[in-house]
Amino acid sequence: MIAGDNSSRNSFVLLRIGAHRFALPAGLVAELAPPVKLHAFPHTSNSVSGVIIRRRRILPVYDAGSLLLGKQASGQQFYLVARCAGEGKELSAIPVSGECEMATGQVQPVESDRPAYVAGTLIIGEDSVDVLNLEALIASAPDTGSIHAEAQP
Amino acid sequence: MSAAGERSDKAGHRGKPEAVILFWVANQMFAIAAESVQEIRSTDGLAGAANEIDQEAVPKVRHILEWGRRTCYVVNAGVHFDLPVTRPTLVLILRRMRIAVLVDRIDRMTEIPAVYPLPRAFVGKERRWYRGLAYIDDSVIPVVEPSGFLSAEEFAALERAIKPGESQREMEGAAQA
Repeated sequence: MIAGDNSSRNSFVLLRIGAHRFALPAGLVAELAPPVKLHAFPHTSNSVSGVIIRRRRILPVYDAGSLLLGKQASGQQFYLVARCAGEGKELSAIPVSGECEMATGQVQPVESDRPAYVAGTLIIGEDSVDVLNLEALIASAPDTGSIHAEAQP
Repeated sequence: MSAAGERSDKAGHRGKPEAVILFWVANQMFAIAAESVQEIRSTDGLAGAANEIDQEAVPKVRHILEWGRRTCYVVNAGVHFDLPVTRPTLVLILRRMRIAVLVDRIDRMTEIPAVYPLPRAFVGKERRWYRGLAYIDDSVIPVVEPSGFLSAEEFAALERAIKPGESQREMEGAAQA
């Protein structure tokens, strides 16, 4: 699935993390990548589980399951590659099950008691799905004494 | 090399080839620029040159090493990277630095086509630990930043910790003379 050109504000990619469905604006999503090797090495960034190599790029993998569900979600063998967070919104990956689908619909505002990473509620027929704000989700990770990401030569 | 950092792609260049030493600490392989390593020694061969220091400010340093005309702080890489405890057998004595690094074993020396930037998603201490990432034999290997083994604050803490001992040794030496 390649949806990089789809920037319609009403188009979303529905993804499954654990037993839950979430939606991401399709304009942020680059592709659904097949299962590839996760490369892990020592680091202290809580929200990151490692990197994958995709289309000649090294992409960080955010552990969305832990951030959303408080535990690693099982059965997440595929990677949704999207522009996630940070300066320049670099391409990043989040583990998902292979079940992704496109959907269109209107986003309803969320109630104030919802987490900051819920940008809205997508109504699809009788279902409602949380629309993720990935930047807010990643920012919700516990701080481990982050160091400002300095510019690299 | 079949992988490239985003920044490298955008910049239209992919760095330059570089000789690195691949070494293991616990179950993790690292790379370090060969030119930043002056010598590799067995820990057994350093018995007379290494002295234990009693300080708790920087737990990853338990010894100093008198090497040439330098006094190096010996950093346990396993503690530095928060890896499982192992028994290091080798010491990398870094060039132009007062740092020696305890590692488990050397894998080999090789050439890498480029060092790719650490993704900006990594925001912790690893930004000091690593110069970037290399892709070797289907694996992504962190390329360590030699100066990242000890920060200026850690150097200062170590200097403060060993000064009383050094002063005492100097006094003892003067008394014996």
